[in-house]
Amino acid sequence: MGRPVGIIGVGQTKHGRRMDVAYPELVREAVLRVFEDSGLEPSDIDGVVSGTMPSMMEGVALTHFYFADAMQAVGKPILKTETCGSTGVSIAHTAYYWVASGMADVVLAVGHEKMNEGDAQATMTTVAEPFYQRYFIAGAPGVFSMQSQMWADRYGIPEAKIRDAAAHISVEHHNAAFENPYAHVKIRVTADDVKNSRVITYPVRLLDVCPTSDGACAMIFVSQNKAKKLGRKTAWVKGVGYRGEEYFFGDSDKGLWQGAVLAAKQAYDQAGIKNPRKDLDVAEVYNPFTFQEMLFYECFGFCEPGGAPDMVLKGTFDKKGQLPCDPSGGVLCTNPIGATGLIRVAEAVLQVTGKAGEHQIPKAKTAFSHAMGGVDQFNGVMIVGSEL
Amino acid sequence: MSKKVAIVSVAQSAGPASKDNFYDQAYRVTRECLDKVGMTRDDLGTVVSASSDIFHGGISCANAYYWETTGAFLKNASRQDGESLFAFMYGAMRIMTGQYDNCLLLALCKGSENPENDTCTLMFGDPFYHRNLGLTETTSAAFQMQAYMEKYGVTKEQCAKVAVKNLGNALRNPYAHRRGKYTVADILNSAPAAAPLTDLQIAPKSEGFVAMLLASEKKAKKLTDKPVWFKGYGSSLDTYFLGDRDLLKTQLRTAAAQAYKMAGIKDPKKEIDVAEVTEPYAFQELLWCEELGFCKPGGAGKMIDKGTTEISGALPVNPSGGVLANNPYVSRGLQRLAEGFLQIRGEAGEHQVDKKVKTALAHGTHGFAGQCHAVAIIGV
Repeated sequence: MGRPVGIIGVGQTKHGRRMDVAYPELVREAVLRVFEDSGLEPSDIDGVVSGTMPSMMEGVALTHFYFADAMQAVGKPILKTETCGSTGVSIAHTAYYWVASGMADVVLAVGHEKMNEGDAQATMTTVAEPFYQRYFIAGAPGVFSMQSQMWADRYGIPEAKIRDAAAHISVEHHNAAFENPYAHVKIRVTADDVKNSRVITYPVRLLDVCPTSDGACAMIFVSQNKAKKLGRKTAWVKGVGYRGEEYFFGDSDKGLWQGAVLAAKQAYDQAGIKNPRKDLDVAEVYNPFTFQEMLFYECFGFCEPGGAPDMVLKGTFDKKGQLPCDPSGGVLCTNPIGATGLIRVAEAVLQVTGKAGEHQIPKAKTAFSHAMGGVDQFNGVMIVGSEL
Repeated sequence: MSKKVAIVSVAQSAGPASKDNFYDQAYRVTRECLDKVGMTRDDLGTVVSASSDIFHGGISCANAYYWETTGAFLKNASRQDGESLFAFMYGAMRIMTGQYDNCLLLALCKGSENPENDTCTLMFGDPFYHRNLGLTETTSAAFQMQAYMEKYGVTKEQCAKVAVKNLGNALRNPYAHRRGKYTVADILNSAPAAAPLTDLQIAPKSEGFVAMLLASEKKAKKLTDKPVWFKGYGSSLDTYFLGDRDLLKTQLRTAAAQAYKMAGIKDPKKEIDVAEVTEPYAFQELLWCEELGFCKPGGAGKMIDKGTTEISGALPVNPSGGVLANNPYVSRGLQRLAEGFLQIRGEAGEHQVDKKVKTALAHGTHGFAGQCHAVAIIGV
């Protein structure tokens, strides 16, 4: 694994429709908070990792230029990591490898997106090439609906049961968002509200889908020596996994999604996790769609393939369940894409350092974080723990 | 540095517009790079590619598009945006952790499917202040060139000599996009662009697919008799607003200082045997040489007059023809490094420099007037 790597600071913006700030100001808000949280100063930083979604999202390309000052990165070494929706977790991975390699002791990781400046679905449509796929894979909901249908069909899960389980997840996450000061969508919903909300792409309805958010997240990764010197509460990186598969949507099995399975497996092997449901205390799964969240539970070994709806309805993944998932409200309530994966890691860090406030899971020691990207193409995982 | 990392194999495509599609071009360099050391895709540890959505033919998430073509299917892989030397650094880091014993690097840019480079670089500008001025890499370089000539009295003829040298060197490089035997007058009389720049002082828009295999010390010795070692790296980012910067005191100094420190280089002028620098505008080669410490500030005009940076000179710069001859935007940094690798191994063919090459420097830059710089040093 290389040198041990710790995480000693987290900074998030208040996510939402942030028309009160320009894009660099939004980035600055998260960066100032991470310095405040860690007690470090810009001069302590050895290198900066930056990342976002494609330039079409906000209409500014290679944004590390634009945010050089907001990230306090002037005169610093920089890496710019982008892997579509999984960008956030890939940024965390880059910062991790930078410290683990011995090339830096203190690395600042910054992810950001100001989605209300542009048209997210139009941008995502341009991820598909213009010859074959773009005509029928437009935006995110269509893709994830097809995946959900494939999964339901594979395991013969009755539609009514999936519907109930999806509504359960939606209600649970929307309630959780009230306990997260940085979350975007804060509305109380009932299961009936979810089931009767407007259809986006059958069977996905409005309350099964994440919002379009503005937000940024910043974190500081440090070497063991540096962590010791600082003497602050530290989360330790225990496992790192990433997998990408074919570009053409029809080429791979998205029902039991091998990229997700193998990304988690790599991280579990490093972290020594044998039984994820027991060994993990909390998980922040990248869940822009309720249906897809269940599929991820199965790919990550939280339950048997096809078994997620039953477990969801039993409350296994509720805040007070055996393995609480997305107690922050998750992506379903907050989704500034380039920051979203990093926010998952940040939330995992808050949990294992006991700093999650109202949405703290008691005695959380090992936390799982994840992000997904592309047209169902990429999965990245980072596991953090309270002990080295 | 905790662990040694070597470059063991490289492959690159030619610069002119190709009728082959992106996948074929990407696959071909990937395959060639692995074949040269007898490796298959199954042996690959990890993959880091470099590309940029703004230079990717209107398809967003470039890495999604080419993922499996570059051998990354079901691998732990990642992507760097904008500068391909970033990918070199990231790949080396992954090996240094001990988790992987090899890493395939790819730089991918199909210039012929992109709009003009400056249509893309215009998008670096924020939409409120910079973009409305029409600020691009070319117009900001023109400001920088004017400031450079005024401050140091470097002449436009001396700047043009860079294009004469590099386009001439490119005659010996089979991968070059633009090449030719030009005089200083030819360069200065070529079509006016952003004054004082003329057309032949501005890099073209090229195709460029570069594959490079990195390996740990143990693995490298199994794969090749001639590993080329990673010695040093540095990068640095400058402040964003052009008017806030001293265009003649760039972050290349910072990036170079980091790389020299890591490589233990005290006197770059003596210790670097060959340099491949990213000079999308002819005068920038002069300015970058100064910032790299090859001569004193303002001294590069005299240096090129003396022929020091010629292919047969004491410190050859861009024997491949550099970026003036071949400009696949994102790929150009890694292409410089690939050229350095070939020079050290004595495999640069007709553009092999006359002297023995032990240490090579590769430089990449992107952004207005060089907002970001990266420097890599490799050696025997």
